[in-house]
Amino acid sequence: MLYYIYDGTFDGLLTAIYDAYYEKDSPEQIVPLNNFVDNFLIRRIYIQADAEKSRKVHDAIINKISKDAMTNIMYAYLSEHENAGIFILDYLRFGFKVGKIADSYLSDDRVYNIRRLVTKITREKQLLAGIIRFRLLQNNIYYAPIETQYNTACLLGDHFADRMADQVFVIHDVKRNYGVFYDKTKWFMSDIELNADVVFHEKELFYQELWKQYFESITIKDRINPKLQSNFMPKKYWKYLIEMK
Amino acid sequence: MNLIEKIKILSDSAKYDVSCSSSGSNRKNKKGGIGNAAPSGICHSWAPDGRCISLLKILFTNSCIYDCKYCVNRSSNDVPRASFTPDELVNLTINFYRRNYIEGLFLSSAICISPDHTMELLLKSIKRLREEENFNGYIHVKAIPGANKTLIEETGKYVDRMSVNIELPSSQSLKLLAPQKTKESIIKPMGLIKSGIIQNQEEKHKFKSAPQFVPGGQSTQLIIGATKDNDLKILKLSESLYHSYNLKRVYYSAYIPVSSHPNLPTISGPPLLREHRLYQADWLLRFYGFNSSELLNEENPNFDELLDPKSGWAIRNIDKFPVEINKADYFTLLRVPGIGVKSAQRILQARKVTVLGFDDLKKLGIVLKRAKYFITCKGKYFPQRSIPTNPASIKDSLLLEDNIKVRENMEQLSFFTLFPGIMAVNENIARISGEL
Ligand code: SF4
Repeated sequence: MLYYIYDGTFDGLLTAIYDAYYEKDSPEQIVPLNNFVDNFLIRRIYIQADAEKSRKVHDAIINKISKDAMTNIMYAYLSEHENAGIFILDYLRFGFKVGKIADSYLSDDRVYNIRRLVTKITREKQLLAGIIRFRLLQNNIYYAPIETQYNTACLLGDHFADRMADQVFVIHDVKRNYGVFYDKTKWFMSDIELNADVVFHEKELFYQELWKQYFESITIKDRINPKLQSNFMPKKYWKYLIEMK
Repeated sequence: MNLIEKIKILSDSAKYDVSCSSSGSNRKNKKGGIGNAAPSGICHSWAPDGRCISLLKILFTNSCIYDCKYCVNRSSNDVPRASFTPDELVNLTINFYRRNYIEGLFLSSAICISPDHTMELLLKSIKRLREEENFNGYIHVKAIPGANKTLIEETGKYVDRMSVNIELPSSQSLKLLAPQKTKESIIKPMGLIKSGIIQNQEEKHKFKSAPQFVPGGQSTQLIIGATKDNDLKILKLSESLYHSYNLKRVYYSAYIPVSSHPNLPTISGPPLLREHRLYQADWLLRFYGFNSSELLNEENPNFDELLDPKSGWAIRNIDKFPVEINKADYFTLLRVPGIGVKSAQRILQARKVTVLGFDDLKKLGIVLKRAKYFITCKGKYFPQRSIPTNPASIKDSLLLEDNIKVRENMEQLSFFTLFPGIMAVNENIARISGEL
């Protein structure tokens, strides 16, 4: 059993794809280091992320398959699914073989496996765009802590930078310890270490109260349906929702 | 009165308006401004009743000079009254928006002092949002029936969507329950909005920079079950609103008893299942190429509550089936019960490279529960012992499979339709994210 082990970055993953392709290897799995469970049957190859190789794979995908395919594997990667690496390799092999039309093979497993992951990421991203809640801090930063199932926070930068163009904000992925920062001109990602408690702006709690009141009065009591509510907005996302506290 | 109490009173009486959609507009943020519109709309929360919360849906005031029988705000009703000032409303909207609670504002109002006076207050608040706060998020505003033409036209320049609620689907019903309103006072502003939109499209054609006028289109709402009007009448009305007034959406709201009056029916609960069937039929009109007379007629003027309108139609037209999945065109596929827009598109796409069997359909995410009675793959029916092919037994099988479930889940189903944006939303995002 051959395992490719990469550093967990997207560049690392693309480098792994490059190596598999040009070494004519057939790895059983392509896994990030931090997710790797060793066992003595496994033969390991450690992949050094290489920007040049990664760029070549990127260009090949865009030219020989499609831009969508590039997005698809990016999303599959962000799913952190245990088989994401190998699904991506299979999908790309298939894509390089059939070209642009690859994504039309909807019922082919190589396409199906990726599409399923892409759907999940897309859904979570869409949901988050709505349910992120900023809190205004004393220092006039809008701060939104989130805990997500997939690694989707990084997909939200464009959306919020366009929309909240005139406010400084931080979206904090609490589980993965990184943040999307926006400084009124551009957004970027960076690790976060919170070393002090966040302190709210004096008006913050007032607006939270108003929002909770709104949430309560907008509900039609004759139509209460908690199951439906949690279908749309699963409980695992409630932790940082002001109105659900 | 403090702001919390105002919110309580003014959102409480706005909540029966079912529209909360923030879709259809692509307003961009301006330099140094805040907010933009997402063409497919975004939900920001879901209330305990399962409805999507997208916009801050609120009345400017609930003090009304009119006395519509079905309405909580009617002048004869003894309820606490409140009004915002434009400043309060603007502040609230901006602060909610900056915290990402909402996608924008849906501003409506009871009629205070006069239709013109009310419309002026709404216009003033909205203008302040756009011009002083540089707010470019979604705004939906109600055109107040009876308000002056110039006021309505002026308002249209600042908002993304405008609507006039028809509420009661016929003149007789209006006379009975809302005697101070007339068909004309409702239809007139709708006509104004419509011609404003058309004129604006022509201008846009000539000058790209022409200011927008109601880019998200107009919508309306009909109350279901407060009057004797049957489904056929309601659906016909919707159909002509789509055709003659270019409406984006007609919303249906199951009547919730908020008062008792001899002219109002006494019902135990809102007719949710009926509302659900109307939403389904409405979708068939807008996206599936059906017209109302295929779905209902004078002999059968109401939907079968047990069966969705498309299955009902298919069973009555069994001679048009089965449909071969590998050959049928898009609109034929759309007429198969259980196959929706997304499924039909996927079938077409996959057919380019594969001859589809039933296993493939499952991987395409197509649910065969209903469809299996109406389709073949490679000339063969779904592999199941004795699949019924005559109308009566198909109906029995369909009912057997989900009749009980429909009844149990009736409220759930109904709520799903209150958020019909969800499918479109996901599809759209998939496209947007194509360019990362
Ligand atoms: S005019 Fe509107 S707010 Fe006033 S009573 Fe009639 S429906 Fe209610």
